[in-house]
Amino acid sequence: MLQPLKPKSRDSLGRIMTRYYEGNHLEAAKGKFVVWIAIIVPTELLKGFDLIVCAPESHSAMCAARKVGAAQCEKAESVGYSMDLCSYARIDLGTFFDQGRGSPSMGLPRPDLLISNNDNCSLLVKWFDVYHREYGVPHFVMDVPFCYQSQQEKDRRYILNQFQDLIRLLEEMTGQKFDYDKVREAVRETNEAMKHWTRFLKLAAHRPSVNTAFDSFAHMAPYFTWMRGDPALTEHFKLLADEAEAELAAGRFPVPNEKYRLMWDNIAPWHQLRRMSTRLAELDANIVWSTYATSIGRVEDRLDFFEWDGGDPLHYLARLQNRGWCCYGMDLRYKAMAEMIERYSIDGIVFGSNRSCKVYSVMQMDLQKRLARDFGLPTVMIDVDHADVRKYNEENVFLKLEAMMERIAAEN
Amino acid sequence: MNPLIDKLKAVKASGKPVIGCFPLYPPLELLQALDLEPVVLWGLKPFYPRTPKSDQHLQNFVCSVGRHLAEFVLSEASDLVDGLFMYNACDTLRNLPEILQSGLEDAGRAKPIFNIHVPQAPRRQTDAAGYLADEIQNLIETLGRHFGVEFSPSRFRATAEQQNRARTLARELDAETASGRMSFRRLADLMYGNCFRPLDRQIQVMEAALETCRTAEPRTGPGVLLSGIMPPPSSVSSVIEEAGLRVAGNDIASLARSYAHSPDPALPPADYYVDLYYNHFPCSTLLGTADERPAALEALAEERGARGIIFLGEKFCEYEYFEFPHLEKRFKERGLHTLNLEFAIDDDQNPGPVRTRIEAFAELMS
Repeated sequence: MLQPLKPKSRDSLGRIMTRYYEGNHLEAAKGKFVVWIAIIVPTELLKGFDLIVCAPESHSAMCAARKVGAAQCEKAESVGYSMDLCSYARIDLGTFFDQGRGSPSMGLPRPDLLISNNDNCSLLVKWFDVYHREYGVPHFVMDVPFCYQSQQEKDRRYILNQFQDLIRLLEEMTGQKFDYDKVREAVRETNEAMKHWTRFLKLAAHRPSVNTAFDSFAHMAPYFTWMRGDPALTEHFKLLADEAEAELAAGRFPVPNEKYRLMWDNIAPWHQLRRMSTRLAELDANIVWSTYATSIGRVEDRLDFFEWDGGDPLHYLARLQNRGWCCYGMDLRYKAMAEMIERYSIDGIVFGSNRSCKVYSVMQMDLQKRLARDFGLPTVMIDVDHADVRKYNEENVFLKLEAMMERIAAEN
Repeated sequence: MNPLIDKLKAVKASGKPVIGCFPLYPPLELLQALDLEPVVLWGLKPFYPRTPKSDQHLQNFVCSVGRHLAEFVLSEASDLVDGLFMYNACDTLRNLPEILQSGLEDAGRAKPIFNIHVPQAPRRQTDAAGYLADEIQNLIETLGRHFGVEFSPSRFRATAEQQNRARTLARELDAETASGRMSFRRLADLMYGNCFRPLDRQIQVMEAALETCRTAEPRTGPGVLLSGIMPPPSSVSSVIEEAGLRVAGNDIASLARSYAHSPDPALPPADYYVDLYYNHFPCSTLLGTADERPAALEALAEERGARGIIFLGEKFCEYEYFEFPHLEKRFKERGLHTLNLEFAIDDDQNPGPVRTRIEAFAELMS
């Protein structure tokens, strides 16, 4: 049985996210400059200006979590966008084409500038191109080379040059002067926030875990907003980590009889957060770790948070452009997952094969084979779209999950 | 035996190392200047009607280009290829190298894969010419070290001139197709065949084809543009022409987008490729060219007197599908007719499902 925990953090999350979405609309109505970004675009760099920053991907994740994802997708499909396109894009486009109707936040305020990047995926660029055409506003494309090994110096220089181009563009468009010190402060603040985030995540090492991956999916949300680089994020992550530690000390666990410690690979199944976690808990299973939630703040195959050394914040932000998960190759992913398995005593891996996210999913068949071979771990691949519930079949998925758990039980 | 093997053996007969290039727009001249023989891995479907090897590594929501490419690399035919080249053409292709190496390792084989990053930011926003120049130089050095070959500037100029000749001939064949003196099916088949021919043979084949069609009786009928990543299955090309339509032009990545632009062969390699990629005919996969694409297509339609456009969706190619709705809207606003077709890996030579739609579309314009 799932024990809902961390009530203070849950309330805090609801408050800060509501304030964020409402605040964006209110500030935009006062004439503040609005920027839409892809989530890996360095928000801290934009703190050098006085802006509103919105992330369409985060908006789509929220819609999916609030169970309106499929309805919004259909709106985009009805105007010609294929059902094979990323569901995040379809949700957000559907919201746009219906003037914000159906979205819990009434969509996002009209942008003055779009900033995408292609290190997560190039489709973000194509998605933002739609808004570029429809709104008639500039679209800055940050081109980040994919890495098969650690990010190379030549690529870091290239990214830094693009940062300078972006700064120049923003100065031109906003009439503001870039404030380098504010960027330094934002990077410092994000580092503080990430220390607490890491502290929270590491508690999963305890058996049973005081966290579920579903907690981490939900609480990632403020990181992908304008709160990154802001004390509000630090306060929230500190509250989350403190509350989780207190629950550990008090012996309160979401899955008290945790028998199966699983790892999730792919984007969170937003439309299934409560349902899947509850049903897994009934089977004494807990997804204690995910490649998705741990992708923030780490780079490539390193499992630990990539700390700022106090140097040039722009260099640091350029280095971080190969964080996430989808901006680097299979070898680096394998190394990171290998360490996750060891550190967090993983019994089995759930690969969410996600039609909406080829960049996450396409390497999974080989990763599955290698990890199963090298660690002797039971694994399963399930079909799950992260935001379009029409491409998810709960019974099929749980048939496979339960079969995996039976194997884990038999081998233990 | 797979007929592709014979084609590759013919290429290998030159004695030069053969480099299998991932689509879409590899730097062929550079490879030839290093005395390597490139083949572009398009049009593999007839050689791999099924993809059992690829299916062990790639989910079924990967496009046919990726799946056929993987099937080729994992099959015996790829033993005739000495290396592979790729660039960041799309998200699927950028993820393939390690998957392919993993599959080859499982089979006890190995193949070096060489890659560059082609800048994708629009040039008006970020000037990455210097970055691309460095990538080209690094590639020259890496290939030189691996194959023990030397880059020759004079050979580069000579092959650039030959490639330009090939592109010019392709444009002339395209014009003959537009005028109705050559069938589009024949053009598409010929150009796919060229992917596995040495350059001088490509030129011979195209020159011979031009000779033949110059005396052909031109077909008439309303002109349409075809737009997509690849031509439709050849049976569908026949249906289009049998329905009375004339393919007045194309915006197909493996066809006109590849041969539309020729840089100055006198340029040194770095400048040549800056020109090639930055002034390329707009393509949905060259992210920085997106703004130019609608106008380029409209200009093509006007120049060729096209009355409609058929969008050929390659299933799971999100690059194209993000642009189709806007392009369709632009064409309709200009009074042009549009038709959307989709082709997946399982669509073989049976044109039945699309015949009625194509015929109805043709009737709209007659």
